[in-house]
Parts: sequence; C-alpha cells; structure tokens
Amino acid sequence: MRFSFTGTGSEYFRIWIMNLVLTVLTLGIYSAWAKVRRMQYFYRNTRLNESSFDYHGTPVAILKGRLIAVGLFAAYYTFLKFMPLMGLAIGLCIALIMPFLLVISFRFRLYNSSYRGLRFGFTGSIKSAYFTFLALPVFTVLTLYLLAPFTHQRIKAYQHNNTRFGQSEFTFNAGVGSFYKVYFFTLMQLVLIIVLLGFGAYRILKGAMAHIPGEAVIGIIFAVYMLLIFASLIVVPYFISRIQNLIWNHTALVEHRFSSALSARGMTWIMISNFIFIILTLGLFKPFADIRMARYRIEHLALLPAGSIADFIAAEQEQVSAAGTETAEFFDVDIGF
Amino acid sequence: MKTVAANYYDGKNSRQQAVTLSISDGMLEIHADQLIREVALSQMRISSKLGNTPRLLHFAQCGHCEVLNHADFEALLQESDVHPQSLISRLENSLLYALAATLIAIAFVFASYFWGLPWFADIAAKRIPARVTLNIDSQFLHVIDKNLMQPSQLSTERQQALQHRFDSLHNEKDIPSHRLEFRSSTIGANAFALPGGTIIITDQLVKLASNDEEILAVLAHELGHVSERHPLRQLLQSSVVGLAMTWYLGDISSLLATAPTLLLESNYSRNFERQADLYAAGMLLMNHISPARLADILQELEAAHADRKQPISPRSRFAELFSTHPGTAERIRVLRSYPAH
Repeated sequence: MRFSFTGTGSEYFRIWIMNLVLTVLTLGIYSAWAKVRRMQYFYRNTRLNESSFDYHGTPVAILKGRLIAVGLFAAYYTFLKFMPLMGLAIGLCIALIMPFLLVISFRFRLYNSSYRGLRFGFTGSIKSAYFTFLALPVFTVLTLYLLAPFTHQRIKAYQHNNTRFGQSEFTFNAGVGSFYKVYFFTLMQLVLIIVLLGFGAYRILKGAMAHIPGEAVIGIIFAVYMLLIFASLIVVPYFISRIQNLIWNHTALVEHRFSSALSARGMTWIMISNFIFIILTLGLFKPFADIRMARYRIEHLALLPAGSIADFIAAEQEQVSAAGTETAEFFDVDIGF
Repeated sequence: MKTVAANYYDGKNSRQQAVTLSISDGMLEIHADQLIREVALSQMRISSKLGNTPRLLHFAQCGHCEVLNHADFEALLQESDVHPQSLISRLENSLLYALAATLIAIAFVFASYFWGLPWFADIAAKRIPARVTLNIDSQFLHVIDKNLMQPSQLSTERQQALQHRFDSLHNEKDIPSHRLEFRSSTIGANAFALPGGTIIITDQLVKLASNDEEILAVLAHELGHVSERHPLRQLLQSSVVGLAMTWYLGDISSLLATAPTLLLESNYSRNFERQADLYAAGMLLMNHISPARLADILQELEAAHADRKQPISPRSRFAELFSTHPGTAERIRVLRSYPAH
C-alpha cells in the first residue's frame, strides 16, 4: 500500500510566495500562520489508502513558541555581550532544557498530526530524552564521533518506539550494527572519491605549479573546495537515502510494517537538479524543489498491511496541556520524524 | 437539492465510510444507505480552500468529512449560502496576487541585499569591540602564516624605513589604529587589511613598486579600508549572506551553499575600493604625494597579474558584476584626474 503525494509545484508556489510576502509585511508575525498553511498543504496532499493526513497545529501556539524562542536567544546574546558569565549561564541553561524542549516539540507535532481522524501521539519520557539528547551527544563528541551511529540509532529508537497512532504503538527494531554499516559505507565512498579525484587533480595541478607558483596555490585551494563539493553531492544523497530506508524498513505499527525504497541515484538527481534550478531562478524554484523532494520521499514509502487498517482506535482524548502547546514550538525544532 | 460525495470518519476509529452530503435548513446531512448523522452548520469548521487538497469539515463533537470534489462542494455551499472562503485562500488562488507577491518578494530581497545588509553591517561593525577584531586578526594571521605566507625577506632596515615613512604620514581625519606586517607570499604582489587594523604587505609588492611613494600610496589605500571598517563590514556581510544561503540551500550541502556566496560577495568590494581610493587620495595630497602614484602601482599590479586577468580595458558592466577588483581602469582614471599638488 503505497503512500502518494498529490501536491504540485505551481500550486505550492502561490501558497509559498504569499506566505513569504505576508511574513515580511507583518515583520515575521505571519510566519506562524504560514507554517500552518505549509504543513497543511503537505499533510493533506499525503495520501494513503484513499485518505489524507492532516495537520492541526494552531498559529497562536506556534507564534507564542517562536516569541519565547526569540526572547531566550535575545537574552542570551545581550547577556553574552555585556555580562559574558551570565550569558554563558543562560547558554548552558538552554542546553540543559533542550531535551525537555525536544520532547515537548515531538508531542506537539505528533498530537497535531492525524490520519483518518485519529491523532498521532508521543509518549517518550523526559528522563530518557535527557539520556538520548544530552548524555549521548556529549559522549559522542568525547569519543571523536565513533559513537555517532550508535547515538543516531538510539535517537530514532526513542522517537519511533514512543510514537503511537490512536491507541496503537509504533515499534522500531533496526540494530546498532546496521547504522554502523551505513556510516561505514558512506565514509568509504567519501574516501574513495577523494583519493581518486584528488589524485587526478594533483596530477593536473602539478604541471601548472611549475609554471606559476603563485597562481597554483589558489588553484589548489579552489580544486580542494570543488573536490569536497563534488564529493558531498554524491555522498550526502547516498547517506540520506540509505538512512531513511533503514529507518522505515525497520519500523512497524503494531503488526503492519513499512517499506522505504529510496535510491541513492534518484536522490542525487533530485538534489543536484534542485540546487541548479534554484540558483538559475535566483531562488524562485525553491517551492518546486520542496514539492519534488517531498514527492520522491513520500512516494517511495509504503505500508505493508498485515490485515485491515480500518480498525485502529482513537486514544482517550487526553489533551496536550495548554502550557505544553504554548511552549511546544519553542525552537521549532524538527529533527525529522 | 445538490449533493456531494465525501468520506466520513467518526473520529473513534480509522474506518472510512463513503457518504453523500447535503444541506437543508442549516443542517448538514450525512447519508450512507440511510441518514447516519445530522450536524448543524454552526457546529462545524469548514476548511478554506488550500490548493487542490481535500476540503475538510470538522465537527464540534467529533468526526470529520473529507471532500475531494471541489466543484460540487462549492456548488453545494453556494446553494446553501455558506461562504467559508478565507481572505488568505483568495489571495493564494489569484494569479494576479501571486504575481504581485513575487514582485514584492524580489524587490524585498534586492533591497535587503543592496541596502539593508550594508546598513546592518555598518551599524554592527561600529559596535564590535576592538579586542574581538584584534582576535580575528591574530587568528587570520596564524592561518595565512601556516599556509600562504612566509616571514618577510626584506632587511630590517628596509622594513623600518618603510614603517617610519608610513608613520610620518599625517591626515586631517584621525588615523585609525593599525599595525603594519611584512610577509613574503606565494600569492604574489598584494596588500590587504584585516578587521582589527592589521595591514599586510608582501615583499613582492615592495619589489614591484618603482618607488616608495607607490608603496605609501598602497598603504594609504589600505588605511582607507581600515578607517571605513571595510574588512569587518565585508566579513559581517559575507557571514550573513553565507548563513542565508545555507538556510535556503542547505538541504544538499552547506558547503555547496557557500558557492553562490563567493559570487555575490565580490560585488560589495567595488564601492569599498572607491571609498578607500578617495581616502588615500586625500591623505596623499596632504603629504604632497600625488594620488597618481596609486594609479601607477595599480597599473603595475595589473600588468603583473596579466597572466590570469584581462588587460586594462573598459570592462562590460556584466563582467564588472562578477569581478573582485573591477573597474581598475576607471579607478586609475579617477586617481590621475587629481591636480598634482
């Protein structure tokens, strides 16, 4: 049962440009309303088995969250300038409450998502959030990122194992080893590209260096830069597609499983062509690019139903607390459901 | 009486039910085989049109309907005199408004880039304390000393002589605090200023100059950059442009996103060069040195870099847009037009 996406670039362009202009004209206030329109456009165009998803976030809640976020950051920067110690203390506080904010943001996002009239929900505990989003990242840095795949797996496990649809729970069973595998192959690819291309570039530049030493240095810097860009064009789409496939192929909703079949090649083509078109149109292609990317990712996702999907039951309508909703969009953190 | 096909969800489970909707006496009637539900129009929220997405009717108690047929639904609403259309969806659905919005957006981006950003950078540059900019300088020097520059090969006497002549220049305006650094470089004859007022001049430039007045002219020009805080403003402007680009294009690679920044950034320096020339000309005249010396060294530099740059000629406007040191011919012409003393 494939997911389908019915949004079109020309339609979204009009919504996007209106969002942009109204946001500018209202000095940013409209951005909360703009976000709701955008989310609704993408959710309602995402269809599964003849029904759409829907987004229910209210602009006022989002606006409050954004105001608080702006206030916090303003306080941080002002203090950092005039009373550096106080500023650092505030910065540390922000880091300390970040896991809490993330939980609140997941709750807000999922509670405000629905399919067939049933809401999604997030049940992750704040305690595990501190382990996953504070302790693990710190360890990751301390181990010079050797722990990065492990941390990535724990983050996804925390998110997906704590998500539910109505009363039914999602589960996640991708092991740490499979994350290390994706990271390893990505790294190998990067090394291979740099070695191969770097060798070629070196040979070409060696000739030039003998002629004009001054020019060659700039040439080398430029070549290294181009090399890294080229490498990232291949490696980034590869990584994104492999990780998304890994995550969704190991996610299930009760007994129904998911399957994601993104290809690295398709992803590379979309990303590179989007980039080129955005540059050529001085940015106006952006909404079309967003639609292309969403369509590619959504249409390669499928639900493998193990039975009827008509029998999910709504959860007891426990409201996400008013305070929760208000502070939920604190930082508009969206680390990708 | 008009009807429209819809999907009905009761909000308690995920079952989808195909229904037809009709409206009579301010009540929405939901029919499957028989009437399954009646809801007062005042007890529901009808979503405004959002592109071609399904229209949604959310009921106050629970449950909702999803309508895919826009035309039939509009006809039904029209007949029953219900108008849930919001202002925003009218704006979104008009090509004319979309066009107007596009023009406003383009105008806004251009205005922010050409006026807003320089204005912001100017204000911010004045507020950044000297200890911060000096720190930037020492970090920058550290990097270039490792990669691009070697200690100067000039004799200490020569360095001191140049330093002395430079120090003895006076100006009617206050001379900003600065520090002169000599380096030998692999990037050829060059001189440039850093945010904290450090001015670096390469041995290759010293050797290229036909006389010391030309060197002083170059230093006065760099002092002009320092006086107007150009290096710091440039740094701030390119940081903001870089951030904006990363945010806008960051999906694929933040590294790639910086590529257009380089292209855009070269544009700023034109104005800065002109201002620095003006400062240098004023200062040189005060010290009885002709601004034409700056023109001389510019020409010598141009000739030295002729391998990779085009010869001095009136450049096309388009070429100027993408050149870091554009209009050298124009600058030389202006510098030569000053009266000798």
